[in-house]
Amino acid sequence: MTRPGFVLEVDDRTPPLLVHEGLGFRLEEFPLGTRVVYPPEPIPSLRDVDEAILDALLHPVDAEPLPTLLKPGMRLTIAFDDLSLPLPTMRAPDIRGRIIEHVLELAARAGVDDVELIAANALHRRMTEGELRHIVGERVFRSFFPQGALSNFDAEDRANLAHLGVTEKGEDVEISKRAAESDLLVYVNVNLVAMDGGHKSVGIGLASYRSLRHHHNARTMVHSRSFMDHEHSAMHSSAWRMGRLIKEHVKVFQIETTLDNNVFPRPYDFLMKREWEWSIRDQASMLAMRRGLALLPQKMRHRRFHDLRSAYGVTGVNAGEVEAVHERTLRKVHQQQRVEVDGQTDVAVFGVPYLGPYNVNSWMNPILATCMGLGYYFNSYLGRPVVRPGGVAILYHPLDEGFSTLHHPSYVDFYEEVLAESTDPAVIGEKFEQQFATDPWYIHLYRTSHAYHGVHPFYMWYWAAHAMDHLGDVIWVGADRAAAARLGFRAASTLRDALEIASSTVGTSPSITYLRNPPHLLADVR
Amino acid sequence: MTADPGSGRPPVRTSLAGRHLLLTGVTGFVGKALLQRLLTDVPEVRLTVLVRPRGSTPGAARVEKLLGGPIFADAVERAGGVAALMAERVAVLEGDLSDPPELPTDLDAVAHCAGDVSFDPPVDEAFRTNVVGVRRLLARVEEASAAGARDLHYLHVSTAYVAGRRRGPVFEEPLDHRVDVDRELAWGLAQAEQVEARSREADALAGMRRKAEREHGRAGMITAAAAGEEARRQWVKDELVRIGTERARSLGWTDCYTFTKALGERVVEAHAAAGRRVTIYRPSIIESALERPHPGWIEGFKMAEPLILAYGRGELPLFPGAADTTIDVVPVDHVVASIIACLARPPEPGEPAYVHLSSGHRNPVTFGMIYDHVRAYFQANPFAGGERGHTRLPVWTWPGSVSVERLMRTGERAHRAAERLVAMAPRSDRTIDWTRRLDRQGKRLAFLRRYLDLYREYAEAEVRFVDDHAQALLASLSPEDRETFAFDTATIDWRHYLEEVHCPAVTQPIRDLDRLRSRQSRPDPSRLRVLEPAPAEDAPRVAAFFDMDGTLLSSNVVETYLWMRLAELSPTEKVAEAARMAARLPKIVQADRYDRAGMLRAVYKDYAGARLADLDAIVDVHLAPYVLERLAPDAVRRIRQHRAAGHTTVLITGALRPLTRPLTPLFDHIEAADLGVDDRGRCTGHLTTPPLVGESRAAFVREFGRSHGLDLAASFAYADSYSDLSLLEAVGHPVAVRPDVALFRHARAKHWNVVDWASAGTSQRVLDPAARVTR
Repeated sequence: MTRPGFVLEVDDRTPPLLVHEGLGFRLEEFPLGTRVVYPPEPIPSLRDVDEAILDALLHPVDAEPLPTLLKPGMRLTIAFDDLSLPLPTMRAPDIRGRIIEHVLELAARAGVDDVELIAANALHRRMTEGELRHIVGERVFRSFFPQGALSNFDAEDRANLAHLGVTEKGEDVEISKRAAESDLLVYVNVNLVAMDGGHKSVGIGLASYRSLRHHHNARTMVHSRSFMDHEHSAMHSSAWRMGRLIKEHVKVFQIETTLDNNVFPRPYDFLMKREWEWSIRDQASMLAMRRGLALLPQKMRHRRFHDLRSAYGVTGVNAGEVEAVHERTLRKVHQQQRVEVDGQTDVAVFGVPYLGPYNVNSWMNPILATCMGLGYYFNSYLGRPVVRPGGVAILYHPLDEGFSTLHHPSYVDFYEEVLAESTDPAVIGEKFEQQFATDPWYIHLYRTSHAYHGVHPFYMWYWAAHAMDHLGDVIWVGADRAAAARLGFRAASTLRDALEIASSTVGTSPSITYLRNPPHLLADVR
Repeated sequence: MTADPGSGRPPVRTSLAGRHLLLTGVTGFVGKALLQRLLTDVPEVRLTVLVRPRGSTPGAARVEKLLGGPIFADAVERAGGVAALMAERVAVLEGDLSDPPELPTDLDAVAHCAGDVSFDPPVDEAFRTNVVGVRRLLARVEEASAAGARDLHYLHVSTAYVAGRRRGPVFEEPLDHRVDVDRELAWGLAQAEQVEARSREADALAGMRRKAEREHGRAGMITAAAAGEEARRQWVKDELVRIGTERARSLGWTDCYTFTKALGERVVEAHAAAGRRVTIYRPSIIESALERPHPGWIEGFKMAEPLILAYGRGELPLFPGAADTTIDVVPVDHVVASIIACLARPPEPGEPAYVHLSSGHRNPVTFGMIYDHVRAYFQANPFAGGERGHTRLPVWTWPGSVSVERLMRTGERAHRAAERLVAMAPRSDRTIDWTRRLDRQGKRLAFLRRYLDLYREYAEAEVRFVDDHAQALLASLSPEDRETFAFDTATIDWRHYLEEVHCPAVTQPIRDLDRLRSRQSRPDPSRLRVLEPAPAEDAPRVAAFFDMDGTLLSSNVVETYLWMRLAELSPTEKVAEAARMAARLPKIVQADRYDRAGMLRAVYKDYAGARLADLDAIVDVHLAPYVLERLAPDAVRRIRQHRAAGHTTVLITGALRPLTRPLTPLFDHIEAADLGVDDRGRCTGHLTTPPLVGESRAAFVREFGRSHGLDLAASFAYADSYSDLSLLEAVGHPVAVRPDVALFRHARAKHWNVVDWASAGTSQRVLDPAARVTR
């Protein structure tokens, strides 16, 4: 029996509530009357995943069954989401690997020889062998990787990109040449949040900078309200236009999966429970973990958190025509994440956890933390933002993790050189984006090392553009002051201090809403 | 001189009217004050000044500049300009006291104020100035008086402290000693030659070379040789001082200065014995003016000033003397007034006059009193506080010189021990911070040591200079002259003099400097030059040379060897190999200190048999991510800035070429160690060329610069170790990156940029990075 999400009003019986902050968490006493939004509990998952996969492949939505699409001598490409999904990484076997195995089996049965697997990592970093192996599974990895038939997408490999044309709004569509020239492109996704999937899969995952720049910019992002709601997202409208153009060139067979929100395995499962329902064991775990974390050096805390693998339940597998499949997928995502919230608030509180899509096996630098808080969490709404226009966001994160020079080399320069000059997404986009996007050293690192593309930090900043445009003030609790100042925000040591700072914007008795996230929740603000 | 009552004798101005006076040492403290006084208060006297040309500036120009100073403003104004004043009253005689020129024949008196005032001169110099110089000057005086048939009065400025280590009252009379002047002189002058010869003896040279090589050998033999030669020169200097001091003490003087001054008096006495008029004038410690030219006027730092300033800065915690010991101090205006009085009252021929100008006999001031007044002054007028407010003024407990010496010795021993520790400490911010603090402390200790050694004698001198002659001289003046040429030291109010005149005057320049410094921000050594693209196409190219290990990424050769080595081994072999390297490590570290090239060769021998292509593959697949992760972001940014500015970027490393592969796109040229390969593509264990370390790096830079048409003076170099010193010195803009202690000190002394580039805190330092990739 799954309990739906709900909104708690803090009264004098409410215990201190858990707030994530990077590589740790704290228990916070919220002012009386604070609304706390809890996500629904995990919805029922599929009992037999393999059966569900096969069923989806054989009975797709608005498409012919997969076996009828597979012909000997054809060119088949299987693209799949990269390690940015799901969060945390799924405990093996990964759902993508299981689906790919089924697809490959059907292809083998149909006598298809020309098969290539491409990770749709767009401008994300190349995954390591280990990371690829985790997603596709040992067997697939061993059969394809040594031959070079399993690879990361290289958006800077000019020879292997295909420009398919421009949309009616003049947007270039340039994607992987192999994918574009395939007889069939199977895309395997994990739809963690509502913004994933649909035409975003091929249209963005396999696209180059030339294509991405049309929707990954400050203007589009400010008008994506929100990008968790594709019908009201300028970014998704653009991706959808591109997707429809791609459809004219290549047949796409989309396979989308949805997961429940079992993000924290035991013994961390108390992190997902409602605080007043913590058992003695939960409380003991919580205490032990807090004490333990306080003693550990940062590198070891990092390791403990990043070694977490989640035992998700698969809640849905849908295959077939992109838009029809995505509609079904979104229904499941909403069922798992949607919570009705009555009206906007003056102050929204978010706890930014240790992990976001771009620091899997890596470090949550201040730019990524901003993207997580003001990009993902702020935008996780349907209808209207949780916080009213001109309101205040209070975020929890120490902003002290530093940068991975292997994964985020351009971020370091973005932080030191670009943010030092301006924090306005439109201004920095105008002035610096081209330079970073075309920098040969960043391109070299993106192509040969494991670095995010040079332009990627700009996208992170654009993610937060809507929030920066909408909010009156942004205050980080427990954050490194210098880092917060560099980002153009303010830092407070406690929630009380943050509210004191916020009082100049929202008065002394603001309405406060805390979104208790993770697990992910989607606030449907009425 | 006999004390005549003041009535009956002509006033000073009349006595000196129309007289022709030669002054030496007018560019010095006393000479300048004397010149000023004569120009102002004795308008009818004619002056010739003996001035030595300095560099390309002739003596006349020096005098012109001197007279342009503020204290001469009145005299200059009255004469209607400097040129007019010189034409009218101040003739310039150009020449050096070591070989004085012929003197004008119409001279009436010579006042010899020139001399070396340092207390610890090298022995030969002390003799040359204080004995030979005097003798030669007197020979010229003799000549001039014979030629002009005049009874020339020679006034010799000596010092009261020629009394040496005598105790109790010292009278104004010839010194009682039996030192053979000529013998000592011959000995003293010969010392320079002898010490130089001793310093060049093979054993001495070998010792100094060994020490220099121990400290500087890492930077290369040329650097070590330069340091050795510098050490030899310093040794000669120190030895000459030491020899002089020892000889002086062995004969009962405090130091070589007072010793040679005393011998100088003997020379003057010999001159007097030939029936000449001579005054031997002995002032004690001369300090700032009480009244004229203006209260507190002082030039340069004399004896007490460094101590007063150090006390005010809180840096003089102790003092060797006793609170009740008298220190004999006189203001400079009393000194010049009494000199003028002496000149106005020449003694009889053949009967040299002795005059003390001192305060201790009738108006003694003790160390305790000085301490109280100086302390009171600084309490009321502290130096501008730094970031941490005003400094705490030390409280002196007068523990006696034995305890002070013990304390100093302990401090110095502790400092030396700390020095040794720091030299061995691993490189880190903390080590650098320790070094900085140690250096500051070392400077303070050296300061204390120098002044305590120098002044201990004076601090313990329980001597009283009786000034009856000076008093009689004063009494011989008319009441008006006693006003104008006041020099009764008994009238000095020490509180007033110290707290209101002297301390404000000597602290003023420091206060001005502090104010200036607080206004302009201190140069930040970590602020690097902004790089601009070359203005013209045909301008000579600029290059930036980067060292790799320790500069671009925190690593060393042993580590990088293990990265490659362990990548190809099984887990058990890895343990064995790591253990083998660990056992060799102490030897390698030792070798790295003295013979980097040899160390590299020894490590690289282990590559014998490996296929070069395999090494490349290991780096590309396994090590590139690790190298890139360890790269200091600031270093990468700087390299890219150089490239953006159109500079040629060059990597210089003793590491193997395969390891530099991830960095290839950042550099125009990479100079790395190449492993020799046999015909089957296997490494021989030898290098193709000697590894590029120490001074061969500078040689490479020069050659590279020549063949590529580079402007090395406008080029940059970045390195972390003292062994890269020559590389850094080969270009115009050296930058020390997270330097070791030796390089840090060098960089600080040379005002080089010092930056702290470090690998990101998120990266892990491991010996087997290849193992991580498959995770």
